[in-house]
Amino acid sequence: MAFRPTALCNLSLLLRQYPRRSYSSSTSSVSLTEVSHFDKLASSWWDPNGSSRLLHQMNPLRHDFISSCLDSQPEPPSIAKRRYLDVGCGAGIFAESAARLHSTESVLALDPSSEVIAVAREHAQQDPLLLQPGRLEYGNKSIEDLPTPKSSQDQFDILTLFEVIEHINQPAPFLCSCLPFVKPGGWLILSTIARTWMKLAYDKGCGRGGGQVGAEGTHDWKKYVNEEEMRSFLGGWMGGGVMGGVRSQGVVFVPGVGLEGGGWWGEVGELFLWG
Amino acid sequence: MAYASASRRLLNLPPSQRVTFFTSTRGFSVLNRPPPNYEGHVPLNVFERGALAAGSAVMSLLNPRRGDLIAALGETTATPYFIYRLRDAMLCNPTGRRILRDRPRITSKSMSVEKLRALPENTVGQAYMDWLDREGVSPDTRDSVKYIDNEECAYVMQRYRESHDFYHALTGLPVFVEGEVALKAFEFANTLLPMTGLSLFAVTRMKPAERSRFWHTYLPWAIGNGLKSKEVINVYWEEELERDVADLRAELGLERPPDLRDTRKTLREQRKTAKEKSEKMSGLMADSP
Amino acid sequence: MAVGNPSKALSPYICSSCSRSLKLRSRKFATAASPDIYDVVCVGGGPAGLSLLTALRSSKATSHLSLALVESQDLDRAQKWHLPPDQYSNRASSLTPSSQSFLSQIGAWSHIDTSRVQPYQHMRVWDGLSSTSRISFDSPAPEPAIAHMTENQNIIRALLARLDSLEPISLLDKTSITDIHLGPPPSSPAPEHASLNLSSYPHVTLSSKHTIAARLLVGADGLNSPVRTFAGIQTRGWDYDRHGVVATLKLSSESSHNPENPRGVTAYQRFLPTGPIALLALPGPYASLVWTTTPTQAARLKSLNIEDFIATVNAAFRLSVVDLDYMFTLSSGQLSELQWRESVSPNTSAEANGDIPAYVTSVQESSIASFPLRLRHASSYTTHRTALIGDAAHTIHPLAGQGLNMGLADSKSLASAVEYAITHGADTGSEMNCLDKYNIDMWMRNNRLLGAVDKLHWLYSVKSGPVVPFRGVGLRAVDALGDLGLKRWFMRQAGGL
Repeated sequence: MAFRPTALCNLSLLLRQYPRRSYSSSTSSVSLTEVSHFDKLASSWWDPNGSSRLLHQMNPLRHDFISSCLDSQPEPPSIAKRRYLDVGCGAGIFAESAARLHSTESVLALDPSSEVIAVAREHAQQDPLLLQPGRLEYGNKSIEDLPTPKSSQDQFDILTLFEVIEHINQPAPFLCSCLPFVKPGGWLILSTIARTWMKLAYDKGCGRGGGQVGAEGTHDWKKYVNEEEMRSFLGGWMGGGVMGGVRSQGVVFVPGVGLEGGGWWGEVGELFLWG
Repeated sequence: MAYASASRRLLNLPPSQRVTFFTSTRGFSVLNRPPPNYEGHVPLNVFERGALAAGSAVMSLLNPRRGDLIAALGETTATPYFIYRLRDAMLCNPTGRRILRDRPRITSKSMSVEKLRALPENTVGQAYMDWLDREGVSPDTRDSVKYIDNEECAYVMQRYRESHDFYHALTGLPVFVEGEVALKAFEFANTLLPMTGLSLFAVTRMKPAERSRFWHTYLPWAIGNGLKSKEVINVYWEEELERDVADLRAELGLERPPDLRDTRKTLREQRKTAKEKSEKMSGLMADSP
Repeated sequence: MAVGNPSKALSPYICSSCSRSLKLRSRKFATAASPDIYDVVCVGGGPAGLSLLTALRSSKATSHLSLALVESQDLDRAQKWHLPPDQYSNRASSLTPSSQSFLSQIGAWSHIDTSRVQPYQHMRVWDGLSSTSRISFDSPAPEPAIAHMTENQNIIRALLARLDSLEPISLLDKTSITDIHLGPPPSSPAPEHASLNLSSYPHVTLSSKHTIAARLLVGADGLNSPVRTFAGIQTRGWDYDRHGVVATLKLSSESSHNPENPRGVTAYQRFLPTGPIALLALPGPYASLVWTTTPTQAARLKSLNIEDFIATVNAAFRLSVVDLDYMFTLSSGQLSELQWRESVSPNTSAEANGDIPAYVTSVQESSIASFPLRLRHASSYTTHRTALIGDAAHTIHPLAGQGLNMGLADSKSLASAVEYAITHGADTGSEMNCLDKYNIDMWMRNNRLLGAVDKLHWLYSVKSGPVVPFRGVGLRAVDALGDLGLKRWFMRQAGGL
């Protein structure tokens, strides 16, 4: 059973932000406090024993989830290679791994923090595969700064938002900005931390250790989103032209064992979703 | 359930494996005795062996003249380990191996009396002959081995028994009880055969003076020399007959103990002189007013 | 060896080693400043290295990787290796079922010359001192054999043949390594355009003066691995004061070793105080001898004439330790000693039961050799962009016949870690996302096996004292309790199942 003290409050916030299909570029999802926080963390991002260690460990599971989504498609599209858009890419843990896949054509990775993008670009220089023209491109901007896609050439097969939503003040308009970039038949994959009592206990009790993702001060429990809230929000889009359905999977970090994925962990830990 | 079947399996092991737990005794019944391994062999099972050992131990203590009982005691106590150890001691030594290959027997036929008597003084052969004469025994008085199953080990036991007289010659110990016990102590330290150790119980039958000599002189000599000298079982006696005894002793690392006969003779004479003296004294005193 | 389509057309006219170096020279981008970059460079073309490359090439996920093999021997000769059916190399190994299934999985087993492979169904192990204690291993149904004996060259030839049938790799044979160093540091200040930073990539300079760079450098280069030295990985271990004497023997024809024998073929191992002697069946009446003994005894064995050598080997399986020790004090005449002792205590029933091997009747010429035995274990199998497999990672006492099998298991694990990395977009040289998986999988497992075999060697080299009877009882107990699965557990551990 999950404890959600502000569920109703958040849900109504989301509902109040029910989007219309017009995007105002003046509404930015970027929170300046969040950006400056990540600027400070930039240099340690690629340190395997640093504060981002859990992100490194979690990355393969993201690929597993994406593969399971792709496998679940009843009629897979006949594309040879895929184009990725990674929003809030950080120093490129996921972006680099997506760019290396044999089935990837290109990856565009965006992040509003300039320090972090600089680290990402520098790290990518270590791999000749990533330096192939068009393979991996970084942009120090937010999704709202990208021109609206005019045709499916400008759209992407997979749009990823890993550990992003929990840093956005107003998730609903942000998601509205993202969805147009997904090709029909494509995927929006996001992962976030579930707002449960267990996570509250972790954050309060464990401090930097245990299940804390990232350094202290990275996460605010009140910004976590739960699966039901996400499903109901996305469900609202069914009528608005969003095809397909919602798949989810939970992940929990078990100290001493590692990351365990499975269906019901979404009740207590991280969760992956697609739309 | 699994343990029950495992223990049943252990108990129902095939005979060849059951034997392995007792390397020399056989699990057979008296109605189903296996065939002999050599001429004169009498296979015994565990109980028969035990009974014979106990019985012969008691009886030979009461009557040390029963050579056959002493022989039986020797054979039944030599297995499972000791005779194998002695046989292995022979196998480690080049001469011992030759003995095992050739299997020489010390009999009146192989030991020609005339030849031995013709040998010079201080040779092994001469000392041996001298011995036989003095004690009035012949090489043929030794019993043949019956109760040892392994044929080669039976020969080793036989060889030990036949060499016993040579050990007397080597050490110069006489054949009466005191000398025998001292020699048995030496053999125990040298060959480790249990019977030689058990024979030390005969100390109880010795006179106090003899016992005192044994504890103070002969036992220390026996243990010390038995342990430090080479294995006497490896001496090829047939080849050493013309050798000087002192020479052989030196090679083996063995010291001669004080001559027991001489000691006893001296003591007897001393006692005789003392007795005569005291008689004279008492006579004189009786005569004096 | 085929090196790509154009060369394949020209191959009748160009010798394979020339076409190989042609390929290297024809790479347009290879300069001293920007060397050829390979996804995996494997140093060492033994069974471990070759099986790793074969596994990578034959798996769909990793088949597209650029691979290079650096080997100092002539691989052409290895691929053309051939011996007549009555001669067997003295370096033969016992392949466990898991090794054999790995070779099948990567497609190499079909290239093995099976006429030179001998499966065996039974193993008899006994102690030299507590002479009646023995333990028998029999293959559990439905496995048809405990293990397969074959020459190491047969395995190498099969792996090379399999590699030949797949997408080409750069085979740099008859080449040794002159230097390994990391790439140049990134230029400072950083240039405006993105430039390749190879400062973390191992650069291997070859005797042919070429330099190649590796995303992942694999050391399969044996006991004194240069790759391990470059990686700065320490080893710990000790020398055993023992030598392994090997030879190819021919057994008497009326042996229970006869393949037509419905009871199956048996391998034998006797634990003498100086070390175990093993007789492992090869096809036909042939067998491979592996005798671990002291350096003095090994030298004596090699100095004996053939007749006495054969007699000593026969004695080692039949006579008591006392007799055997005595025979080693002689410089000749062992045959007559053996004949005499056998006449005193014949072993005919033991031989008929298959408890002891058949008589050795002859030795293959020049097959008697010896090598010192040691235990070595690398403190880690991996570091950034470097991994060790096979003898470079570990050296083990041959008493359990595990050395080659451990190397193949390493290759399997590393190939699987690389495959996981590739399918999850990770950098195959990174420890966290790739190499740690291999290290965690294999290091502890190998450490346990090395430790167990080491203890077994110590246990069986004790000549006297309380250990000896307990050792015998232990063996008998394990044999008697076979049904409880303890023996099967030992066999599973040894078989790597």
